[in-house]
Amino acid sequence: MSDDKQIVSRLKGFLLRREVIITAVIVALLTFLLITRGVPMILTIFIDFAIFAIVTLSLNLEVGYTGISQFGRVLAVMAGAFGAGAIPGRVMAAIMGLPWGASYAEATVNFKLVPQLTAVLEKSWFLSIVFLIFCLLVAALCGAGIGWLTSRPAIRLKEAYLGISLLAFGDLLMWIGHNWEPLVGATTSVYIPDPFRFVPGNRFQVVVITVFVIAFLIYFFINKLTHSPFGRTLKMVRDNEISAAAAGKDVVKIRTRSLMIGSAIAAIGGALYVIYTGAATAIGFTRLTWTFWPWAFMMLGGIGSNLGVLLGVFLLTILRSMITIFRFQVFGFLIQWGIDPTWLEFTLMGAVIIVVVLFLPHGLVPEKVEPVLPADRVQKVITNMSSRGRFLT
Amino acid sequence: MAPWLANGLIYASALALTAGGITLLYITTRTFNFAHASMATVGFYVVYSFIIFIGGSPYRYFPFAFLFGALLGVICYYGLNRPLLKRQASEITLMMSTLGYDLILLSLIQMYCDFLTSNYKLFPRRVNMNMYDLELFGINAATIILPLMAIICLSALHLFLGKTKFGVAMKATIENPVLAGASGINSDRVYMVAWLIGGGMASLGGAAMAMAQTGTPVMGMNSIPFMFAGAILGGLHSLYGGILGGFMVGLAEYAGVFLLSQKFGPWILGYRMGIPLLLMAITLLIFPRGLAGIPWADLFGRLTGKKRGVQA
Repeated sequence: MSDDKQIVSRLKGFLLRREVIITAVIVALLTFLLITRGVPMILTIFIDFAIFAIVTLSLNLEVGYTGISQFGRVLAVMAGAFGAGAIPGRVMAAIMGLPWGASYAEATVNFKLVPQLTAVLEKSWFLSIVFLIFCLLVAALCGAGIGWLTSRPAIRLKEAYLGISLLAFGDLLMWIGHNWEPLVGATTSVYIPDPFRFVPGNRFQVVVITVFVIAFLIYFFINKLTHSPFGRTLKMVRDNEISAAAAGKDVVKIRTRSLMIGSAIAAIGGALYVIYTGAATAIGFTRLTWTFWPWAFMMLGGIGSNLGVLLGVFLLTILRSMITIFRFQVFGFLIQWGIDPTWLEFTLMGAVIIVVVLFLPHGLVPEKVEPVLPADRVQKVITNMSSRGRFLT
Repeated sequence: MAPWLANGLIYASALALTAGGITLLYITTRTFNFAHASMATVGFYVVYSFIIFIGGSPYRYFPFAFLFGALLGVICYYGLNRPLLKRQASEITLMMSTLGYDLILLSLIQMYCDFLTSNYKLFPRRVNMNMYDLELFGINAATIILPLMAIICLSALHLFLGKTKFGVAMKATIENPVLAGASGINSDRVYMVAWLIGGGMASLGGAAMAMAQTGTPVMGMNSIPFMFAGAILGGLHSLYGGILGGFMVGLAEYAGVFLLSQKFGPWILGYRMGIPLLLMAITLLIFPRGLAGIPWADLFGRLTGKKRGVQA
């Protein structure tokens, strides 16, 4: 009898946890969309979720765990996108003896060239997978490079100073991509050979599954990383830099590493995005989409909690696409005045940020305060040390 | 006058106003105001709407732009900034809160543009305000009036901070909030006035900026890095430094683009936003505390007067 009661109360405790409630809400919304709109809509939401989850998790690693005010997330995403857009296709063209220099990115050349490359990839699944992995590797390298570059000012500047500098340089990189044609075709875009064509049937479903799997691999990687000694060191640097330095940690090195890992992951997100859309366009990488949305996702989910970030991304992605889906039914009054309801996306983003800042400062799933070691282990260490006479008490 | 200099002067005065506003808000409330972007755009659209619906010269409606921006600033203070300041939120939280406010304002501006487009058959998404400008001494009036206006506004601010009782109280709060509170200064009201002036300056700057470049709904959003660059160049700890920094950033962009494009060709135009950022980076490398950190008093003797923060 008492066992039953215990199980019931445990079950109650489990069901009332915030994570579970939010997951239930997400599942309910998804089922609703599935019934009313069908599978393609759900897949679109899934792919948006997966790409933004990658970017936001990397942002959380830098902001939530290391305490760097990263307002230039778009920099790393763009590095990955430009890298995946400019380099792998060129390498392939060079191997095949096609033009691969500056002319590769010219719209008229690129337009004819990329279908040829895609045709080659289409015939061999092996080549396709190698190409995809090569794209991601190049992107990760570019991202790590940008991460290292951003770590230079990050050592000197603090908080808002750093945030603003990174924000400005994010804009600068976008304008460089928009003006320097050999990179990604300036005002026109560079097409990317499609590595998903080898599967007969629907390409879209394969893309969704691939991106989803990569996103979850990255989630597990970041989760493992943040629960490792390295993750605890990151938190130490975040909470008190001076005490971390006093404990013998090289703060500069740790921040640099965190920035490099985070930027590499964000770059993979950017590369997946351009491979999925099939073209890299510089002007599409605005700070609104790739810096401020991830910030909103992260703040809603809970800064410093990986699961929270994941749920935050999912919830907001669904809400965001619901504005687009139901704009005629719910916001018909706006259309009557000639107003496009898609602007409500910005209202939603702003409102989420304000509500979180004012009323939910720790987000939906707050970061759990974790002891470095379990209590009994701590006890053991203390008795051990005192028996050796290390404590004078 | 060369067109680049004319436009550069207008743009520089606009950036001086906005960067001054950002600095003022930062030294009073520790807030980096992202909403400056949309507040500037709002200022431009206020002037534009008045011209469309009432007519006349744009300068007549600049005071309205100021009032509107001041209203937005005060709303931001009471709705967002005050509760967060009471909670002693971190700089990043304060900055994020203004970002949320900025996004809401941006969406409202976009909706307003949609509304004007479909109901009045206007084209508010690409506005050339020069069209409504007057002519003075054979050149566009904006070239003369706007820098003059910026100078008058900033002198008024200087007089307000130096000569009025409230201004002195404000200065005291900036220098040392705890001590100022202990001597009976109501910091709440000081912050409110800072937001009022800061918001007004943002909108005024935006209205002026539209005279130098094409007015779009994302005009403010695109130029916010320069406003921040101006404020950072000024050192962020001195209001006058911020104003000077904004002016320099604005003028450097136009002058740099003009000179470099003469030397290297017009392709340089695409990279124009690199120039102010480069200027900022170089200045910060040489003078880590920005323009205000340069020992001006040593350089110019008593020309600049007393040390900042010491009341004569």
